[in-house]
Amino acid sequence: MNEVRFYGHTPPGAGDEETPGRLVVVEGTDGVGRSTQIAMLREWLEAEGYAVLVTGFRRSELAATGIDRAMRGNTLDPMTLNLFYATDFWDRLEKNIVPALRSGMVALVDRYIFSIIARARVRGVSPRWLNDVFEFAVVPDIVLYLDVDVEHLVPRVLSVRQLDHWESGEDFLRGPDLYQNFITYQSALIDEFRELAKEHQFVTVDGRGSVGDVFEALKTEVRKALEGMS
Amino acid sequence: MTVLQKEHAYKMGERYGLHPDDGQYPGKLIIVEGIDGSGKSTQIDLLGKWLNSQNLVTVFTEWNSSPIVRRTTKRGKVEELLTPMSFSLIHAADFANRVHAQILPALRAGAVVLADRYVFTAFARDAARGVNREWLRRVYSFAVQPSLALYFKVPLDVSIHRITVGREELGYYESGQDMGFSSDREESFRLFQGKLLDEYDALTEEFGLMTIDATQPIAVQQQQVRKYVEPLLEDVMAISGQSVPEALGRAGLTGRYITSPMRRRLTELEALAAAKSDG
Repeated sequence: MNEVRFYGHTPPGAGDEETPGRLVVVEGTDGVGRSTQIAMLREWLEAEGYAVLVTGFRRSELAATGIDRAMRGNTLDPMTLNLFYATDFWDRLEKNIVPALRSGMVALVDRYIFSIIARARVRGVSPRWLNDVFEFAVVPDIVLYLDVDVEHLVPRVLSVRQLDHWESGEDFLRGPDLYQNFITYQSALIDEFRELAKEHQFVTVDGRGSVGDVFEALKTEVRKALEGMS
Repeated sequence: MTVLQKEHAYKMGERYGLHPDDGQYPGKLIIVEGIDGSGKSTQIDLLGKWLNSQNLVTVFTEWNSSPIVRRTTKRGKVEELLTPMSFSLIHAADFANRVHAQILPALRAGAVVLADRYVFTAFARDAARGVNREWLRRVYSFAVQPSLALYFKVPLDVSIHRITVGREELGYYESGQDMGFSSDREESFRLFQGKLLDEYDALTEEFGLMTIDATQPIAVQQQQVRKYVEPLLEDVMAISGQSVPEALGRAGLTGRYITSPMRRRLTELEALAAAKSDG
């Protein structure tokens, strides 16, 4: 049995009893290949006989639509966006993730509080305040961080789609040079992720390798995290 | 006047890295608190009218009114999706947006900002729902410290009487029915509002809110409010020391009689004439 641990106080509604499930988080910047890896991990875990819940950013029943709507406008400030994300995150934590852990599932989460925190930190929000806000989060059993430098990120993103307004930090970076903004923003974001990796003992996996190599590395780490699970 | 005690002082810029300034603004922030039916909205409305009559620039902001957040809150309430923590977080998001877009710019410009409910509403309601008090204070540590915080204190029976006269139906969340206090909505409302009164009593002590006896006649309360507000008005922004119609008149924009009975009669006659020529 695993005990649910929170970063700070135990919030009302989450329960604090022992849980048979495991919380596996995959973090990394935009375009690093998280979704592909999560789809493969899910298939593999299910084949191994685990019940798996996959959940990610902006998927809560309560707040997903509201965040999408707010991001289409131009009046969204970093503090509000952060608390909006926090609402979305809590809704999923309370209604999906914690119930899955209590029922003995593997909760496979595509971006956890760390993506939210990294994005807010880059925009100048106080790291201490962010830690305070998110202290209601459950401490994951493992955080797998797909690390890639910005030079390797650009071709990956460009080969799939065009550069995005938010992923280029254009809500706060100025100037008409989208490419330069993307580089500046993603470099700062990667720096924050590496900082968070140290603070929260992420397991860093080199995201520059082939899909197959990265998957093998992730499997090895997930196997360790699931040890002792019935 | 320092409203908040030192240990909870909301020093801007201390923990919230977005505002490099020192938290000193030429404007003034006046906030009112109290349970539903305490009459605080009436009082802040009267205060706003009084300030406007002195040609002071006022900006009004209301709890739960951010244009980009409130639809989500409303949906959460209507569909009963909100739990104590999501109720708390979504209201914090709404507040953050209003601090950023309404309150801070107005204070920096030198306006008087009037807030109907402030962080103490969150402290009272969320704590009554079991949310951690210490966490609430840290989450809301980006709030601007008010220049004046007024608490309109009223006994439960009086507020309930005022509410049952004034509105048709009690809401699920304002009655605290999400907490399962009672399946009867009115009974649940009474229990929940009672808890809020206890929370407000504790907050008054903790933060030094100025208490006004809200059972007094409206005019008496308003006199007390104005006495508290008057000393704050020395340096705030005014519209050039003349009344708005007068100023517009001098600029040749509307003429002097825009608000006079004669002018109003004239407008009516014009409207009649226009209606006739249409028919």
